[in-house]
Amino acid sequence: MPQPTNNDSVLYGPVRKLLRELSELPGPSGLEEAAQDRIAAVLNLYCDSVHRDALGNCIGVKSGEGPSPRPRVLLAAHMDEIGLIITRIEDGGFLRFAPVGGIDPRALLAQEVTVLTDPPLFGYVGVKPPHLMDSAERERAVPIEDMFIDVGLPEADVRRRVPVGTPVVVRRPFTNLLGTRATGKALDNRAGVCAMLEAARLLSGLRFSADVYFVATVQEEVGLRGAITSAYRIVPDMAIAVDVGFGEAPGLPEDQVIGVGKGPAIALGPNVHPRLHERLVQTAREHGIPHQIEPMPGSSGTDAWAMQVSRSGVPTAVVSIPLRYMHTAAEVVDLEDIRQTARLLALFAAGLTASDKEGWSRALA
Amino acid sequence: MNPPTIDLTRLKSLIAELAPAFGPSGEEGPIRELIAARVRPLVDEVRTDALGNLIAVKRGGASGARRVMVSAHMDEIGVIVTHIDDDGFLRFAPVGAMRAPVLLGQRVMFDDGTVGTVGSEKLDDPKDLKLDRLFIDIGAASRKEAAERVRIGSMAVYAQDVRAAGRCLTGKALDDRSGCAALIEVMHQLQAEPSPHDVYFVFSVQEEVGLRGARTAAYAIEPDVAFAVDVTATGDIPKGERLAVKVGGGAAIKIKDRSLITHPRLRRLLIDTAEACGIPYQLEVLPYGGTDAGAVHLTRAGVPSGVISIPTRYLHTPGEMLDPHDVAAAAALLAEALRNPLAVGPD
Repeated sequence: MPQPTNNDSVLYGPVRKLLRELSELPGPSGLEEAAQDRIAAVLNLYCDSVHRDALGNCIGVKSGEGPSPRPRVLLAAHMDEIGLIITRIEDGGFLRFAPVGGIDPRALLAQEVTVLTDPPLFGYVGVKPPHLMDSAERERAVPIEDMFIDVGLPEADVRRRVPVGTPVVVRRPFTNLLGTRATGKALDNRAGVCAMLEAARLLSGLRFSADVYFVATVQEEVGLRGAITSAYRIVPDMAIAVDVGFGEAPGLPEDQVIGVGKGPAIALGPNVHPRLHERLVQTAREHGIPHQIEPMPGSSGTDAWAMQVSRSGVPTAVVSIPLRYMHTAAEVVDLEDIRQTARLLALFAAGLTASDKEGWSRALA
Repeated sequence: MNPPTIDLTRLKSLIAELAPAFGPSGEEGPIRELIAARVRPLVDEVRTDALGNLIAVKRGGASGARRVMVSAHMDEIGVIVTHIDDDGFLRFAPVGAMRAPVLLGQRVMFDDGTVGTVGSEKLDDPKDLKLDRLFIDIGAASRKEAAERVRIGSMAVYAQDVRAAGRCLTGKALDDRSGCAALIEVMHQLQAEPSPHDVYFVFSVQEEVGLRGARTAAYAIEPDVAFAVDVTATGDIPKGERLAVKVGGGAAIKIKDRSLITHPRLRRLLIDTAEACGIPYQLEVLPYGGTDAGAVHLTRAGVPSGVISIPTRYLHTPGEMLDPHDVAAAAALLAEALRNPLAVGPD
């Protein structure tokens, strides 16, 4: 296990600690209560007020010093993670399940999982031994309907302790890699939540004019649902989704990936208001924040896609943290990218002035 | 506590009355009129909105009363005529999820009572049995004769009555006329023992084509809490799907489908209510599908929403089958839930 150096602990210590905690929190879509409680507690440290809405979105508000009406900027990072949900208990006490969000069934076999009963149960996604597979079986992927979780308990105990509908997440302790990289589960999008919370902390040390809404959204992985309702309530003047992007790795199309360790990726495409994009790039340049441009030709697949068409329309942008091995139990991020994303968000929000309240829409001559 | 007494005879005859009525998505007029006539004596106000949703309001008027939307869709799947050929045969497209193998050989009816048989072109391979190889034969000898009864855009539904089959009922459109019947039974229950809340009963339109009616109804009503009552698939047939839900196993409390993950506090409330009142229930995870609650819970700033499901076999066929005791359990559970303070809103 690599040991962090002294310099490392000053720059990355708090982010590393927060990211570890966020990564290990269980919070599959719709069943994020544990994550909500913890994230709301962190927001409370830095915000003037924090509340939870009808769907469970955690909303922290920091009010600026500018004259009223102040521009209102919404920063959204989804807190939910992909997971599983128990659909049926089979004879012998084996658990059948369905996906919650975009699970890749091939990445599930032979994984350790946490069955979120109270107290949680350790489980294992069982696999047929290769010796017993015929040649056709070896060739084909196992459909998710045929997989099962073994919690190692007698059937009667399983039936008593695991009701249908129990959520499940992969079990993977957060691990530091060399340098500033780290690996774990749910870094999509706890890395984004971490950057957003760190931005709230940074903003606490700055003077700023705008009202900043930090929203940890629910149910992104099943259809951007938390973003739909939170944007409706907040009525922002602009909104930025903070999410993860595809980090470069062998075998990935070069034109669809972003560099790991090269700073936040500022997206450009139909889901992004060009002026908001420009302002983010300008902020990064002014403050020496390493950054990259990420083309997104279509739906960004992020909360920004929903927020953009909230009510009568919201200028939106997407800031992505490069991440490798998305939607597996071993996602990889670089803490430096998280740190620089937080700086970008905080400095952008701090740079907003009263004139940003108006001017996004205007009458044509 | 004993389960609330549901008049099973009344419930069964209501299902038998509602299910055969005509009402494909977008053409819900006949079923709406039928339901309106049944609910008028039971509520304070009945209205129809711009899309055709039937909204029946029963005011509780207690202090701290919440606005509760309760929804069951009254539309059903059907077919729509796209072309009439020279010999009077009708080509059609599906309205909602219609499957060709189920349609072949069925009797369908139009809203004026015209009936037809669904026939097929000669197929070389059974795999070629697709909707575009089927047609409806209404017995017309020519395009002209057919056009006297139907036109492009006319809709048809299965022609099928409700029959008793052992403990069960079988027929078309039990999806979701059984849910509509459950809502009307809840109205009867609230006459005997009222809810403190203002309850908006919505018989929604166009659920089968994208949860459309419930979306606009919820926008207008702005509910604090919402429930939908709809049917759900079961895993209790030979070599069926691996689902835990069974016909006869009680009301199914939905945990998740493709459109909704039930708010955890609402899920607990429904389970606790069923336990406390001795109402038979089961827990449901459906890996696909959706209900009105999927649209309602994303309305405006969000609405905590739950679903009480009626386990039903052979969904979207003219032989849907359910146990009326499960419908009774769903109605009983909903009536009891509506008597709860329903403190499930935001922090």
